[in-house]
Amino acid sequence: MHTLKFESWKVAWAFFATCMLLLALQLVYGFFMAFAHVGLDVLHPWIPFNALRASHTNLLVVWLLAGFMGSAYYIIPDESDRELWSIPLAWLQLGSLVVVAVIALVGFHFNWWEGRKFLEIPRPLDYLVVVNVLAFLLNIGMTVLKGRRYTTTALTLLTGLTAAALLYLPGMIYFTSQVLDSYFRWWVVHLWVEGVWELIMGGILSYLLIKLTGVDREVVEKWLYLIVGLTFLSGILGTGHHYYFIGAPEYWLAIGGIFSASEPLAFLGMALYVVTMARRGGRRHDNRVALFWSVGCGVLSFVGAGVLGFAHTLPSVNLYTHGTLVTAMHGHLAFWGAYAMLVFGMISYALPEMTGRKFFDSWVGEAAFWIANTGMLSMTAAFAVAGVTQVYLERRIGLDFLDVQDAVAVHFWALILASCLFTLGILLFIWDFARHGSPLGMRADSATGVSAPAPQPAK
Amino acid sequence: MLSKSQARLFYVTATVGFSGVFLLLTADTLRQVPQRSNAAQLTEAVVHGKDLWDENNCMGCHTLLGEGAYYAPELTKVVERRGAQWIKIFLRDPEAMFPGRRRMVRYDLSDEEIDALVAFFTWIGGIDTNGFPAEPDLAPAGAAPITASAVAPDAPEVFGAVCTACHSLGGSGGAVGPALDDVSERYDAASLRRWLADPLKVKPDTTMPNLQLSDADLDALTAFLLADR
Ligand code: HEC
Ligand code: HEC
Ligand code: HEM
Ligand code: HEM
Ligand SMILES: [Fe+2]
Repeated sequence: MHTLKFESWKVAWAFFATCMLLLALQLVYGFFMAFAHVGLDVLHPWIPFNALRASHTNLLVVWLLAGFMGSAYYIIPDESDRELWSIPLAWLQLGSLVVVAVIALVGFHFNWWEGRKFLEIPRPLDYLVVVNVLAFLLNIGMTVLKGRRYTTTALTLLTGLTAAALLYLPGMIYFTSQVLDSYFRWWVVHLWVEGVWELIMGGILSYLLIKLTGVDREVVEKWLYLIVGLTFLSGILGTGHHYYFIGAPEYWLAIGGIFSASEPLAFLGMALYVVTMARRGGRRHDNRVALFWSVGCGVLSFVGAGVLGFAHTLPSVNLYTHGTLVTAMHGHLAFWGAYAMLVFGMISYALPEMTGRKFFDSWVGEAAFWIANTGMLSMTAAFAVAGVTQVYLERRIGLDFLDVQDAVAVHFWALILASCLFTLGILLFIWDFARHGSPLGMRADSATGVSAPAPQPAK
Repeated sequence: MLSKSQARLFYVTATVGFSGVFLLLTADTLRQVPQRSNAAQLTEAVVHGKDLWDENNCMGCHTLLGEGAYYAPELTKVVERRGAQWIKIFLRDPEAMFPGRRRMVRYDLSDEEIDALVAFFTWIGGIDTNGFPAEPDLAPAGAAPITASAVAPDAPEVFGAVCTACHSLGGSGGAVGPALDDVSERYDAASLRRWLADPLKVKPDTTMPNLQLSDADLDALTAFLLADR
């Protein structure tokens, strides 16, 4: 019979399952927004657009964070070769995360929020988030400490998660000036996705590459340092690309322009890294789909964040594209390529390891990969056409906003079509997740006293 | 080739070094922002307006300073574009101003709250944003925004501030309502005044909103529209 290597992995699985649920809900809100853009705002009297949007983006952030936490609860015990410091605390932390998320989500529908993009969660709940994240960090931190195996992968992951938690704090300060409010909001939003989250990404990808391709740890870790070095070299001052037009001094045009324009280098490094490692690795793991997602993550993060980010990051371009659908185009592919695919890669790798069910030659996982990615690339194209048209008609020719929106509505029909394809891919992924079953009822090796045998494929 | 410890050194140096520079620049930004954003005019009303902006998550549909959502107009220069009076009328009943168009939420804002929001937008409009939003550089020549003086030099201020958003006169203006060139053929002073004071009372199914005009505005508009031209 298949046994679980660590009891802690049950929590990891539960985090991943939570991810799947929240993701599905996020897509529902996405569809409603797309329909509102073509004039079918049927929900308007009950759930106006701003509630749809806050729900869509906050669900995204929460499921990604849940994915990172699940990944940490999977990787850290494995790298430290011991169970989590406290498994009950991990369950409690999952439970409270879900409770806070549900309260926030319901609150959005009753006009209870802060009108600060991506940080809509109201202040009282922010404190609960902080406590929750502290519990999480304590748990994995103590596990690493007790395990006494300080691998670079584990440390990078831990540093990234800790820094992400710290950077949440500037977003909680109240300012009377909209300019300063915005200035510090970016310490959270930008320094997360173009800074410390990349550390998390580097950590998780390295773990996956070591497991999937058998490349040498030394080599992987050297790359890792170089890439995250480049990330911070460009990304910290790159924050300036959000300071061009909000009332901050003029020098941000130059500083933000130069440094953010070098941010794609870090993403290029990441892409080269995964592709090189995937080709170089000697041992080839049977889990092809997990390797697909990992390589896909490296490549599409370069396209979505690197290339499409660069497309509007220079001040002369951003002057016209700032706050248009061009930003939405970039936001979708960047989040998808860098972070959603990362979590999918981790889940695809971990599921068979946890449940012992190795459906490696089934079509479902692979079909989910290709369909979801084709769908997302088409969605990006739809946003791109809508965005460029909007910039041209509204910002350059000077037509009225609402008239331009009518003119680009047709591209939102294209978005809806593309989203259907994308959603089909996601549903296949979720189905694949479900048919692996849950490891919750399994016995863990730590309970049987056996020390980590190689998992047997279930026949 | 680089060794692992050299790579680590690069990572640590880059991170610490650029974090330091970032903090220094932040200190300088904090020094400059009050002047660039007229912090002296950050009155109680402006702050109240900002709080209303936050509490209702207006940014979930609109952009302000280019930040927010892409569903509704960018509002940094809304006071310059529409004028305070128009905004006040609009906020009382947003749908009435744009019948049949994309919908905004109707907030039951008090007059004081509406004044606060307008104060907030006025303050935002005065921030030095390094040129955002840019003038449309490909705009056809002569496509200047419609103002009262562009339509008719003798028009009362309220006409350009409110009416031209929906009506045209002499060929320029909005197309939500009919052109107003020949009003005098259908109205006399009393009936026109009654219409303007409350269109819904005259014609319950009309889409022209009650604009809550003052007596002085009603007099000026009636005289202007019925004058020979
Ligand atoms: C559900 C989305 C939504 C929300 C929330 C929303 N608005 Fe709007 N707003 C719109 C739309 C759409 C328009 C375009 C005009 C119309 O169709 O009503 C608009 C127009 C405006 C305008 C006129 C802009 C122009 O140039 O014509 C102002 C001013 C405004 N809104 C202020 C606000 C304020 C203040 C809030 C928050 C208290 C807010 N809006 C919340 C959707 C929204
Ligand atoms: C939100 C758009 C809107 C605004 C603002 C507006 N109107 Fe109108 N107006 C209309 C519409 C629509 C009609 C047609 C109403 C109907 O026939 O039911 C109309 C009708 C009229 C008529 C009757 C025209 C005729 O030929 O019968 C007059 C006069 C008029 N408006 C004057 C004004 C004046 C003066 C102002 C400014 C104070 C103004 N309107 C502001 C939408 C507007
Ligand atoms: C994985 C990494 C990234 C993610 C997830 C991401 C996501 C986003 C999102 C969601 C926004 C909208 C933010 C808002 O308005 O609140 C945004 C804005 C922006 N991003 Fe990125 N991004 C990433 C990397 C990059 C990179 C590397 C660049 C530059 C090369 C870049 C350039 C920009 C610019 C210039 C804007 C501002 C757009 C505007 O003015 O409206 N991004 N990004
Ligand atoms: C069914 C699929 C989806 C649809 C139809 C959809 C649609 C939309 C729409 C219409 C907006 C609002 C744009 C506006 O303000 O007007 C939006 C915002 C956003 N969505 Fe999606 N979405 C989908 C899936 C996703 C996925 C999978 C992700 C992440 C990987 C994502 C990330 C985002 C982000 C980050 C924003 C904010 C963008 C910004 O502010 O620039 N969406 N989405
Ligand atoms: Fe950024």
